[in-house]
Formats: sequence, C-alpha cells, structure tokens
Amino acid sequence: MKKLIQFKNIVKDFDGQLVLKGINLDIYENEFVTLLGPSGCGKTTLLRILGGFLNQTEGQVIFDNTEISHVPPYKREINTVFQKYALFPHMNVYDNIAFGLKIKKEPKDIIEQKVQRMLKLVNLEDYAKRNVTELSGGQQQRIAIARALVNEPMVLLLDEPLGALDLKLRKEMQHELKKIQQEVGITFIYVTHDQEEALTMSDKIVVMKDGEIQQIGSPTDIYNEPINEFVAKFIGESNIIDGVMLDDYRVMFEDKIFDCVDFGFDKNEKIDVVIRPEDLDIVPRKDGKLKGIVRSVLFKGVHYETIIETKVGTSITVQMKVSDEKPVINTEANEKMSANDFYLDVSDIEELTEATIVARADAQAWNPDTEEWISIQKISYDIKPENGTYPVTFSTAAGTSVTVNMIVKDENRVINKEYQEKIFAVNFFKTADEIKESIALETDLKTWANASAWSLDEDTPVEITSIHYDFDPENITVGTYNVTFATEGHEYMVDTTDKYEVGDEVGLMFQPQDIHIMKKG
Amino acid sequence: MKQFKNMTYPYILWISIMIVVPMFMILMYAFTKHGNDVATFWFTFENFTRFFSDIIFINVLKQSLYIAIITTILCILLGYPAAYIIANAKEKNKVFLILLITFPTWINMLVRTYAWMGILQDNGILNNILSLFGLQTKLLHTDFAVILGMVYNFIPFMILQIHTSLTKMDKSLLEAASDLGADKLQCFLKVTFPLSLPGVISGITLVFLPAMSSFFIPKLLGGGQYVLIGNVIESQFLTAGNWNFGSAISLIMAIIIMISMYITKKIEIRNSTGKGKILH
Repeated sequence: MKKLIQFKNIVKDFDGQLVLKGINLDIYENEFVTLLGPSGCGKTTLLRILGGFLNQTEGQVIFDNTEISHVPPYKREINTVFQKYALFPHMNVYDNIAFGLKIKKEPKDIIEQKVQRMLKLVNLEDYAKRNVTELSGGQQQRIAIARALVNEPMVLLLDEPLGALDLKLRKEMQHELKKIQQEVGITFIYVTHDQEEALTMSDKIVVMKDGEIQQIGSPTDIYNEPINEFVAKFIGESNIIDGVMLDDYRVMFEDKIFDCVDFGFDKNEKIDVVIRPEDLDIVPRKDGKLKGIVRSVLFKGVHYETIIETKVGTSITVQMKVSDEKPVINTEANEKMSANDFYLDVSDIEELTEATIVARADAQAWNPDTEEWISIQKISYDIKPENGTYPVTFSTAAGTSVTVNMIVKDENRVINKEYQEKIFAVNFFKTADEIKESIALETDLKTWANASAWSLDEDTPVEITSIHYDFDPENITVGTYNVTFATEGHEYMVDTTDKYEVGDEVGLMFQPQDIHIMKKG
Repeated sequence: MKQFKNMTYPYILWISIMIVVPMFMILMYAFTKHGNDVATFWFTFENFTRFFSDIIFINVLKQSLYIAIITTILCILLGYPAAYIIANAKEKNKVFLILLITFPTWINMLVRTYAWMGILQDNGILNNILSLFGLQTKLLHTDFAVILGMVYNFIPFMILQIHTSLTKMDKSLLEAASDLGADKLQCFLKVTFPLSLPGVISGITLVFLPAMSSFFIPKLLGGGQYVLIGNVIESQFLTAGNWNFGSAISLIMAIIIMISMYITKKIEIRNSTGKGKILH
C-alpha cells in the first residue's frame, strides 16, 4: 500500500498552550484510520490541520508526496463530514449534495447522475427534493456523507460524526460507514472519543492523549497489547495491577508468582499487569490462583460485572460509644441543649477553632415548643497540645449551658507501607437517637469519626470506600461498638454469565496468555 | 404559564385604545364626508376619487415611493458592508462598532436633522469645504438632502438587522463550503449572502416604512415646497383641517405598505428555505 498522508512533527500552539506536541503519523491508501482519545487530546485539531482549517505552528503535512501546509481548504482533495453536519439550510437535499460539483462547474447531466448515485449509496433516493431542516439526525448525517463523497475525494475526514445520534442509530451508522468505506475504497480518517466505535470500524487506531500519540495499531493489537495504563483503561475495561517481572515468562503480583507469555524486560523490573475482565473466570475458592470476596455485582445485559476483592485496603477501627444522655433542660428560658464528648488528635489542636469544637461536640440548643434553633453565644475551654481530657462549656444567651470533655489522643492513624497510604479516624460519642435519625449513616459515621485517608507519595486524599459496623442502626442500644473505615483494596473486575452474591468467597482463574505486561509510566 | 395570562389584559386594553380604536376612526373618517356631526354620517368614496383623479397627489405618491426606494437601496448598499465588517470584527471591537452605530440614535431625530440643515445650507460647513475646490453648489432643499437625511436616520436599523442575521449564522457552514471547493467569494455568494437575506428583508421593512411616511425630514431638508405623502397627510390634518381626506390618504399609504410587506415576506420565505426552488 502507498503512503498517502504523512504528518511530520506537527506542533500546534494555541496562545502558548501546546495542543499538539510533535505528531508523526503515516496514513496509507484505503485505510480506515481512527484518531481516538478523550476530549482535549488534540484529535480534532489534527483533523482540522489536515482539512486546512487550521495552520500548524511547526511541522509538515505531506499529502500524496506534496507539502500542503499552505494550500487553502478549497484546493485540497479532502472532504470533511462535520460534527454537526453543517448542511446548508437554504438548500434542499439535492442542492446540498450538488454544491461541490456546481462549484467545479461540472455539466448539469453529470451532476444529476452523480447526485443520484450518492443518494442511492446512502439509501435516501426519494429525498432529493426534501428540505434538509425537515430530516432526522440520521438522515442529515447521511446527506453530509453524500455531500462530501460526491466530490470523489482521496480522503474523507469525519469529525465525531455519530456523536449526536442515539445508541441504536449509532450502531447502524457504524456498520453503514464501514460498508460505504469499503465500497468507495478511499481513506477515511475518523475522529472519536468512543473506544467501541473505534474498535468496530477501524483498520488502524491512533490513541492520543494530551497532544501526543500513545499507541498506533490494529484494533486487536491495541485491545490485547495496550502499551501503557492509559491505553489499557481507555480501550475497554481492564484490571491493572502492580507487579514485578522476575524473569522472562515469570511475573509476580499479589505476592504470588505466575507464568506468562511476555519477555524482554529487565530482571525484577517493576511493571503493570493488565488482565481483561472477560479473561478472568470465577472458580471455587480452593481452585483459584487468587482468592477473594465478591464485593459488588452489576447486571450489564449480556453479563454480570462482578467485583472481587482479593486484599482489603488500609483500614482503621474506631470505637463508637453510644450513651443515652438526655438534653439539658432550662425550664425558665424554655430552652433545651445537648452536646457530646469527643476525641481530638494532638495535631488538630493548633488549628482548633470554635466552629470545629461546636461541630465535633455536635452542640445545639433549641426551643422545645417551636423546634427553632437558638444560637450558642459562648464557648469556654482551655486546651494544651498534649494528651489529656479537657472540659469545654457551651452556653446560650439565656444562660443554658452544657459541659463536655475533649479527649486528646495521638494514636488515631494507621499507615500502610505497602499501599503507601495513611488512614485517620477517632473514637466518638453519640446517642442512640442520633444514630436512628441519621439519613445517610455511612457519611455521618465518616463525619463523626473525622475519618480521612491520604496517599503518602502524592499527599492527595484517597477515598474511603468501605465502612463496616457491628450494630443494627434501627435497634441500637447503649454500649460500645466498632466502626471500621477502609480504602479500596485490590479489586478485580470479572465479566461472568453466572450471578454471584455479594459476600461469596470465590477463587479467580486465568491463563498465562491472559496476562499482559506493560512498562510502567 | 396560565397564571401569567391575566397579565396580558392591560396590554390588550392598551392596544385596543391606542391602536384598534384609532384605526377604526381612520377607516370611518376615510369613508365619510367632510362636515359630519355626531349623529349623522354620509358614506362616500369621494375622498379616494379625489386623490386618484388629481395628478398632483399621484405625483406626490410617486415621488414618495421613489425617495423611499432609493433610501432603502442606499441603506442596503452602505449597510451590508458595514454589518459584514462588524460581524467579522474581533469581539472587543464589535461592541465599540455597534455602539458607534447606535450612539446617534440616542439623540432626538429632529435635533439631528436640524444639525444637517446647518451643515448643508448655502454657507454651511460642507459648502465652505467644497468652495475650497471651487465646487460650491446648492445642497439644502434638494432630493440629495432629503435622501441623505433619510439614509442617515434609518441606516442603523438596516445595519443592526443584517448584523444579527450574520452573527446568527453557523460558521461551520463556511468551513463546509470551503471544504467543498468554494473560494472566499463563492462562499459569500452561495452561503453567507443567501443566509443573511432574512436580515436584509427585515431591514428593508424597518427602513422603507418610516422613509415612506416621514414628514419632517422632507419638510426640514427639502424646504417648504418639497412635498411627500407624509407632508400631505400632515397638512390635511393640521392645516386644512380635512380629517376625512387625510384619513383616506393614510389608508391608501397603509395599503401600499401592506402590499410591499407582503411581497418582501414572500421573498423571505422563498429564500430562507429550500422550498422556492422545488416549485419550478
């Protein structure tokens, strides 16, 4: 096959912002090439440079052995199907399709023939005299394709042409586009952010991110052998696990050694392991290469998306002390007031504010008849930055007051070296009523315990994904209960046809060829 | 939305009193004889036959149509490029340019017209400048002065209408045209211009109507002898005191305007959709 288009080190700079960072790409004749990437990756910019609507800051575009950077769009043998079709609203279907031919001053009878042939190709023979604004999205789309193809370009550019259509129509059009491309036998360059669209139609996929090409390859190559974590995640669902390549064909992850088919890495090189959800099987626990617990099951139509946790994340268990303390009643002023003891960490004391104290003690005062809240006027406390118990008194303007204890401790965190994570939470006091009245108990527990987790390397917050407690919130009584907060552990997504129940203990099975190894970074 | 329905009543009442009732009165006056009293009316076509049988009035009507048409054409020829430049200007400059166009309309039209009298008169600024080149000529009280006054007063309406339709246009249509092989001129002729026609049409309506019925611009810039249809109506009501004849002329003019609006509407429909071309 012949090279038709060559991008040579294309750089595009929009007011100091680099949108394309040196793109090198060859496109051959009769290829269906898809530029795939999230929005903002530069795929549309690259297409517009080829169409002639933008000029690159640096680099060359070679088309059919000629440099075309300074050729205006109307002189290029390239036609475009625009994102929102851009059909001319003042012309009917026939005139829209005939536009390019009329500009070229082709004879009337030839135009007539060519337009009819195009209408047939896109299955809209009876629509020639229709007004384009009366057509459905799918029909407008076909007209836009016909209008571009009638000029017999060497390359057709399609800028997310199916974005505005509904799912069913999109699937239909995917097949139709592929069919049209094979029938007319020209190069199609297709821009999309939809990986499924790309996998269905393309001969070659170019995965882009942040103005750079990540990987170029056939749909099967890209799906089965993603070059890095970004590509693996972008093209379909996948499980990505940290691992170490011990030797050729031998990889270690989850503290176990497995056979694989990959080779050519350094000894003990740190790598990412990719296993596609459909390559994993759930087997009885004793037969599994890995063992875990079913954490969630989602029905996806043809299969169940089952999440198996093989290892829990970083976790911390704190105590919740449930009391039956009644609010203080001030009959004279007709006020009620409540507050609870609470724990603090030594490191919190420096930045301690009155607002924090009120929130942690959950101090409130109200009028028992009207249920209206009354503001707390005065907070008196004395605290030192060391472990101990310190009283704090809240009082209202009418003189109602409550005294509770602030308990300062410094053993409220768990550090997990393996995950490089730190989790923090403190013991807390609550009344049974507060727990019964909570509408979002898990969120409230997190707030009450002041629970949070960070990544140690990046100093960014990590989400606490699981909260376990050993009480029944509906019928809770006075006592001490354990609450465990944990971050996400090692989880595997598995596509299964059988339905498993959350909490099932199962094993995971996979074959050496299902393991794909990627270089880190 | 239902609860807002009641809010339209004051408006309905207002237009009934201020528009519908006066229209009926014009209609009534136009078809009755001069000198009615409260209780009796004499129905007649006399007012209309008088107008159409008098060559003077016919000539005034012709002259008014002529001035209005010339004004409208000049407004399109001058206004379109201006609107095009504004529509394609940078966002910052756009605001400034639109301000420049609308700014004069903040000042009373009568005052601005008086200012033109000062500029155009025999020893005014313009003539003084022209005399430097030995070109001194009579400017005030000519067709030129009247048309100048009208174009000057009414052109902002044309520019703003065209500008609106140009900015409303989807820019990707131009890219599509260029992609299909059209150069800059072809893009304009085949896409931009046809799609801006609705703006031109509403601009025509907004310029032609006041140009047709204006009476103080011809009075001030055309001088006492310069008579357009608006002046005739004015004098019938205010000087001659013949409300019946004045109403009849108003009615004739209203019908002419309605016909011209109907024609322009027809053109607009034909051009804004593809339908016109299917017919033949």
